[in-house]
Amino acid sequence: MAGILFLLLSELIQAQEDAFRYLDPIERKYSELKDYMVDVKVHFDIETLKAPDMQAKLYFKAPDKMKVKSPKIFFFPKEGGYFNPSLFKKKEFEVKLLERLILDGKNVVRLKLTPTDTGISNKVFVLTIDTDRNLIKEIKISPSEGREIKAAIEYGMFNGFELPIRIDLQLDIPEGEPSGMREFTQFGQRAKRITGKVQITYSNYKVNSGLSDEMFKEKDSHQSKSSP
Amino acid sequence: MKLFWLETYKTFSRWRTYISFGFIALIVILTEVVMKLSADEILYRMMRSFQKDFLIFGNVLNGWFITAFIMNSLHIHIPFLITLVAGDIVSSEATSGTMRLLLIRPPSRSKIITAKYLTALFYTTGLVIFLALICISFGLILFGSGDLIIHYETKFRIVFIPEAEVPVRMLLAFAAAIWSMTVVASLAFLFSTLAENSIGPIIGTMAVVIVFLVIGNFPFDFFRLVSPCLFTTYMIFWQRFFDDPIPWQEIGRSAMILGFHSVGLFLMAFTVFNRKDIKS
Repeated sequence: MAGILFLLLSELIQAQEDAFRYLDPIERKYSELKDYMVDVKVHFDIETLKAPDMQAKLYFKAPDKMKVKSPKIFFFPKEGGYFNPSLFKKKEFEVKLLERLILDGKNVVRLKLTPTDTGISNKVFVLTIDTDRNLIKEIKISPSEGREIKAAIEYGMFNGFELPIRIDLQLDIPEGEPSGMREFTQFGQRAKRITGKVQITYSNYKVNSGLSDEMFKEKDSHQSKSSP
Repeated sequence: MKLFWLETYKTFSRWRTYISFGFIALIVILTEVVMKLSADEILYRMMRSFQKDFLIFGNVLNGWFITAFIMNSLHIHIPFLITLVAGDIVSSEATSGTMRLLLIRPPSRSKIITAKYLTALFYTTGLVIFLALICISFGLILFGSGDLIIHYETKFRIVFIPEAEVPVRMLLAFAAAIWSMTVVASLAFLFSTLAENSIGPIIGTMAVVIVFLVIGNFPFDFFRLVSPCLFTTYMIFWQRFFDDPIPWQEIGRSAMILGFHSVGLFLMAFTVFNRKDIKS
């Protein structure tokens, strides 16, 4: 009995190690990326969000500082909207290899990342990684029950780093409930869902220009422990 | 025209006419100061369903946003302020015993009632314009300008209006608000011609408005059927000017229905006043 348990446990550990094998090269690949600033353009294709294309400048500093500067109002998706290579740290996730496959002639793996400490975050990620180039091609995020966000990422080469030039987000989220008195709903009426696409394009990257910590202390800065 | 200016002079000579203007100034200034002091909390409350999925940067809580917010909050209270004058404009003559004196003078009854009605409309227009001016000017001073974000209740429904388009949309929205309030003024005016005192028309008008609003907002199938027959359903058509795209057909239909109500109510008041027996 103990032998079987040991065998199962070692299988599990082996599977984890195998899964981490795909994350480690990505971490190494971007270890020299200290910061970047980039022009962002956001296009919304959501029925319930009528907004023109919005533009801003996005600043990122490793490991998790982000700031947006815009002369006008700017909406930016909380999940999946910008690139943070140090998001998926070994110690914070339990990683499971879901499948290996070939997509568009490239070797690809799918990993499921479940946070080890659900007190900090309960977001589950499914990453699609191009193992030939060590790139995260797609991120599926389930920030909470009933919410699902899928980000497909296209990359370009900037100062020796492959960074996103376009992120296509697909949202499928439940509509929020009214805050005060609940609205009467007809019996059997299902809650509405918000579905749509957000297209984020990035241009004019400036990489490792030495952004100071001070600029991220101002209002409109965000530290995101779990947003890519 | 002379009669109209005379009526207007009479109306604006009474101190009670200015209660509404004072009330609006007080509420708007108080609201805007409080909103300035607790801007973050207000923004969070208003946008929380949206903030779950989006980060919002920039001056969302600007003067235009505040104006739209106040318009939304006060559209039930403004009718009451309108009835204070429109409901009093004819009945006060009976209360003060000047009705007979007024009607034995050379101008015809038709001219007198038309002049009084136009004065009620003038007051209504003035009140809404005053609301617009104080909301926008104070709002822009306190909160600055910017794009307008219209967030529908606490749902995930957002309309973004670029700053350049906002003044025109605001102008149209306030014009529509004046048009809506004209119906309330016409109703109060009709009641005013029927009553001998001012309290009845004021309470009567407000009772009709409140009952219609309640019926029109009950989410039951029966009330949903009744709702299109109530003028209060169309009174918020000014909000459609903040939609994207602007539903012109719906706006035109609402404006027409409200216009018919105003004309109908005035014609009824006109008939009642012309047949009024002042001998007994």
